Amino acid sequence: MAHLAQFDVGAKQQEARIKALLEDLTQAYIGVRPESRLALAVWWGAKRYGVKEQHLLYLYEGIPLNGISSERVPLYWKTGSQDSPFVLMEATDVDWFSRLLTNDPHRVAQYWSNDDYEVLYFDKTLLNPDLLDKFGIMTEPPGLMKGWYVDEDKYGKSKNVADLLCFYRSFKPYFGFVKTEEKDFEHCRGILHLEISQKWVPFSPEGIQSYSYFNDLQNGRRVFFLFEGGALYEVLRFEVKTAPDYAGRFGLLRTQSDDQYPEVYLRAVRPPAQPSA
Amino acid sequence: MTNTLKSICEQCVHLLNPQLDFIPEQPERHREIILRDLKELVSAASMEQSKTVVVLAGCIFEGVLYCFIQSQLAYIMLRRGGPFTFRPEHSLRNYVEIFNRYFSNVLSIPDLLVGYRDMVHINQELKYSPDHCRRAAEEMLRLLDRLLEKLAEYGTP
Repeated sequence: MAHLAQFDVGAKQQEARIKALLEDLTQAYIGVRPESRLALAVWWGAKRYGVKEQHLLYLYEGIPLNGISSERVPLYWKTGSQDSPFVLMEATDVDWFSRLLTNDPHRVAQYWSNDDYEVLYFDKTLLNPDLLDKFGIMTEPPGLMKGWYVDEDKYGKSKNVADLLCFYRSFKPYFGFVKTEEKDFEHCRGILHLEISQKWVPFSPEGIQSYSYFNDLQNGRRVFFLFEGGALYEVLRFEVKTAPDYAGRFGLLRTQSDDQYPEVYLRAVRPPAQPSA
Repeated sequence: MTNTLKSICEQCVHLLNPQLDFIPEQPERHREIILRDLKELVSAASMEQSKTVVVLAGCIFEGVLYCFIQSQLAYIMLRRGGPFTFRPEHSLRNYVEIFNRYFSNVLSIPDLLVGYRDMVHINQELKYSPDHCRRAAEEMLRLLDRLLEKLAEYGTP
């Protein structure tokens, strides 16, 4: 058994080294040509082909390549080596690959068959949801709502939700929100999220303290959240909750240390110019 | 009561009294540049100049991460079990990705920070609501203070 354990450690080290070399190679292709930006880099077939030859798939966004080109480079290219192991790099554009996915799925199935692949790099702004899904790239938890902070001045001047939504919709969402409880039609609470490394993850109790809405509320100002669907809420309070079940229950993409999440309590409101029913 | 940039800055002890031991002493220029920019940042905040704060804070984030990552190359290579090439010509986004990947135990830097820094370009600022520059300035001051605090702790044995 001791021999087997040693073998596993050696295999892991070798895999880590190969991955590092492939990531290093991929880095050389990021930002090289502004007209054709790297959108996805996938290392695939490692279990099938072993260490002699590695396989990379690169998808680009930009100039259409209308086909899959391939190139073989030595894994130790930086040292000037021309010997094996080699890396077979296949490249195409996002649109072409998406079309293949629809028209010739068998042709592209090799890239993810038997889960024998690993995403080394992605830029979610350059990929469509189908591709993110196909390569198992999860960027947000289920049910995430995106929204904007509406301060009390803006709220006070607003006439209706449609106008507010029309104003904010063209701007980048400021935060994400996953509902954890809906008490009634008026009140709910949930976990605020922000994007870290292209993934929406929950705030830590310490992290949220840097943000304007948190500080404005602490300073006695009224704080409102407007969501993409048009729901408008007033923030009542923030409360740190220890909830070991939240990560699994709500499919959170990151677990906070000590399972502590700053929950926000919300109450549905209407703009002041719109009388209550 | 509204927070002023000046009052936020006064609470940011690591901006006012930066401990840059995590940056190698040599060459001296690195620390000099960051210290100069921090001084100018505090000055801009005291005058409530939100756009100046956003631009300068973005420069300082970039400078701090640039120096920190360069000083940690051996550690990153050890973590990867293989080579690592730091490409300083890459953008702040790349620095943030590297930092979050290898130092998320120290602090996670939000992606929106890169968007804030990019507000130096008018087409990027137009992607945010008109009051956002002011909020970005407030948040960048606090985020930068937190980064300096965490890196100072990281550099302390």
